[in-house]
Amino acid sequence: MVSDVAARPRKPPVGSRTRHRPKRRIWPRVWHFLSFGAPGVLIYVCFVLVPIVVSFGYSLTNYNPFNPPTKFVGLRNYQLMLQDDTFLTSLKITTILTAIVVIVPNVVGLGIAVLLDRNGWLYNALRSVFFTPMVLSSVVISVIWTRMLQDDGPINDVLRAIGVQDPPGWLSDPDIALYSLATVLCWQMLGFCVVIYLAGLSGVPKELLEAASIDGAGPIRRFWQVTWPMLAPALTVNTVVLLISAFKIFDHVQVITQGGPGTGSTATIAFLAIQTAFVDNHQGYASAEAIAMLVVIAVLTTISLGVLRRREVNL
Amino acid sequence: MKKILALGAALTLAAGLSACSVGDNNGGSTTQPSGSGAAAKKEITFLVFETDNLTPKFWDDNIKRVSEKVGVTVKKIVAPGDRTAYAKQLLASGQFPDVQIGLQDLPSFDGSGNLAEFSDEDLQPFLCPKCSAIKGRTVQLPANTQTWQVFYRKSLFEKAGISAPPKTYAELLADAEKLKGKGVQPFVIGGNPSWGSSLPWTGELTTDLYAGNPEWMHQRRDGKVKFDSPEFLKATKKFADLAAKGYLNKKDLGQSYDASQAAFLDGKGAMYPMGSWFAAASDASKVKDDIGIFAWPADDGSFHLPSFTGGGLTVNAKSPNVDIAKKFAVAWQTDKDYLDTSAVADALFPAIKGYTLPAKDGTVFKAVYDLYRQAVDQNATVPSFGWEQGDDGMIAGMPDKWNLSAQDIITGKKTPEEVLKYLDTEWDKSS
Repeated sequence: MVSDVAARPRKPPVGSRTRHRPKRRIWPRVWHFLSFGAPGVLIYVCFVLVPIVVSFGYSLTNYNPFNPPTKFVGLRNYQLMLQDDTFLTSLKITTILTAIVVIVPNVVGLGIAVLLDRNGWLYNALRSVFFTPMVLSSVVISVIWTRMLQDDGPINDVLRAIGVQDPPGWLSDPDIALYSLATVLCWQMLGFCVVIYLAGLSGVPKELLEAASIDGAGPIRRFWQVTWPMLAPALTVNTVVLLISAFKIFDHVQVITQGGPGTGSTATIAFLAIQTAFVDNHQGYASAEAIAMLVVIAVLTTISLGVLRRREVNL
Repeated sequence: MKKILALGAALTLAAGLSACSVGDNNGGSTTQPSGSGAAAKKEITFLVFETDNLTPKFWDDNIKRVSEKVGVTVKKIVAPGDRTAYAKQLLASGQFPDVQIGLQDLPSFDGSGNLAEFSDEDLQPFLCPKCSAIKGRTVQLPANTQTWQVFYRKSLFEKAGISAPPKTYAELLADAEKLKGKGVQPFVIGGNPSWGSSLPWTGELTTDLYAGNPEWMHQRRDGKVKFDSPEFLKATKKFADLAAKGYLNKKDLGQSYDASQAAFLDGKGAMYPMGSWFAAASDASKVKDDIGIFAWPADDGSFHLPSFTGGGLTVNAKSPNVDIAKKFAVAWQTDKDYLDTSAVADALFPAIKGYTLPAKDGTVFKAVYDLYRQAVDQNATVPSFGWEQGDDGMIAGMPDKWNLSAQDIITGKKTPEEVLKYLDTEWDKSS
C-alpha cells in the first residue's frame, strides 16, 4: 500500500505548471506519420484523388487529343449525356446487370453457405471449389465462358444431345447476351458471397440457436429469427462489394461480347466510356460518362450502406 | 533510429513525387548507349499485333534482321487487342511508340500532328505513293494491297448441285437457296470482332454503291450525301434479305474470328466472305484444294473487286528519333525477306516496285492474287467499304458503329431504315 502511494506521480505545485511541463516534441511525431502514413496517403492521392479531380476537369471541356484546341464547355457534356440515347441505354443495361449481380450471388451464396457450414474435409474442399473463380483472372474466366457459350460450345452440345433442336444463341441473341454476361459475373462472384456468409455464420452464437430450439423453433424459424438477423454485417459487405463490382464492369464485356451483339446490347457505362475515349476520341465527354458512373456508384453505395447499417443497428 | 525514419520518409516522398510527375509526351523513344565509350545506338519502340498468321517469331525474326540492317535497337510492343485503340491509349498517356504497323483511323492521329510525313524520296519504291494519303500527305507507307472476296467450298457446292460459282446476284441467291435446301449453311460469318459480320454488307455496297460512285465517302465527309439514301438503302436491304432468308446464321455472331475461320474450314458453311489474308490459312489447311474464290456478284454480272492499299508503317512525328524511325520504316517495308514472309504468312500483296511474289502456283493465295490482277487490268477495283483509310475512310468511331449496325440488321433488332438513320445521327455526333 505504501509503495503504491510512493509510486503515484506527484501533483506539481501551483504556479510551476508551465516551467515544469515536459517539452512536447512534435518532430518525432511528424517523422512517424511521414514514415508510416505517407506511402498510403501518397498512393491514394496520386492514384485515386488526382485522377478523379483531373477527370472531372476534363469532363468540363471538349478535350479530344486528336483535335485541339481544348475548350472549356462547362456542364454541356453532362447536358448532352442526359439526352444521349447511347448513354441512357448503357445506363439501363448497367442497372439491369447490377441488379442481377447483387441479388443472385447473394441469394444463392447464402444457400450454399448454409449447406457448407459444417466441419469435415469434404466441406473444406467444397469451400475452396466455390472460391476458385474469385481468384481467377476475369479475362481467363471470360475466355473460358466465351468458349462454353458459343453456338457449338459444350453447353449447346449438351442441349442438342438431350433433344433441344434449336438451342439459344447465348452470345449472338441481343435479348439473351446480357443475361449470359450476368450469369458469368454471378458465377465468379458467388464464391466471394459464400465465404463472407460462412464467416458470418461462424459468428452466430450456438447458445442462441439452442435457446430458440428449446423454445420450440424449427429449423426455418431458427434461421429467419436468429441466423438471418445475425448475418446483417455479411449482407452489407456482400451487397456493397457486388454493387460496386457490377456497376463498373468492363473486362468481361470487352472479352465476351465487346458490347454487342449489335449496338449497345451489352455495352455497360465503363465499356462505353472507354469506347468514347479511345475509339471516338471524345475524351472530355468520356470523362463526363466516367464521372457520372462514379456519382451513381457513390449514391447507390451510400444508400445501400445507410439502409443495411440501420438494419445492423436494429439487431 | 531517428535518422533511419527520416531517411525512410524522404525516400518515400521522393518515390511518391516521382510517381506523380508528368511523363514525356514524346513517347518511349530513348537513346541508349551501346557500351562504355562507344557511340550511342538509338532505340526505337515498334507497336505490332499478333494473330494466328503473324506469330511472335514472325515479328522477332523480321525485327532482328531489319534493325541490324538499319543500325538501330528496336523494342517491340505488342498490342493486347485492338491496335488502334491501344495506340490511342498510349498516345493519351504520353507513350506513343516511335513506329506502328497497320494503324487505322489515320486522320485522328494525323490531325494533331502525331504522324510524320514521308517524302517523295521515301516513297519512291512504292507502287501507289498517295494511296491512303491525307490531304495529299502520305503518313502511312502504302505497303500492301488487300482484297475482299468470297471463299467457297467446292465440295459443298457440288453437293447442292452447283457446278460453278455465281456470276450474278440472282445466281448467288439461287445457289444459297440450293445450299440451304441441302442442309448446308450458305454463309459463315463471325461476330467478335464485329467486322466479321459486316463483310457481306461490304460486298453489297461494292456492287450497289461504290461501283457507281467511288467518291461516295468523300461526299459523305463533305455532307453532300447521307447513309439514308436510295443507293445505300438498296444495298442494305439486300444484306438484310440475306439474314431474313436464313442465308446468314445469326448464331454466328457469337463466334470469334478464329472460330468462324475454323467453321468454314471444317465445312460448316459453304461461303465465307473474307479478306485476302485468309488465303494464308486456306493454304495451310488440309482442304486447300477444295477452296475456290469469286468476287461478290453484281445484279448485272459486272465485275468489281473491293481493294485497299496502305496499312504499312507509320512514324511518330514527335519522336526524338524520327529520322532513324522513318529509315527503319522504309527499310522494313522494302525488305525482300519481310515481303516474302508476309506474303506467305499473311497473304499480303506487297505494293512495291519490282517485287515479285514467291512462286506459289496452285494455291488459294495464287487464285486470290490472280483475281486482284484481273481487277487491276480491267480497272475494276473499288474502295472496300468499312476498310478505307485516310481521306477515303469514315470519321473516327464510325467503322465500329457501322460494323455493330450490321449485327443489328442480322439479328433483326433494327430495320435497314432505322440503321441508316442511326448511322447518320452518330456521324453527326462524332463530327
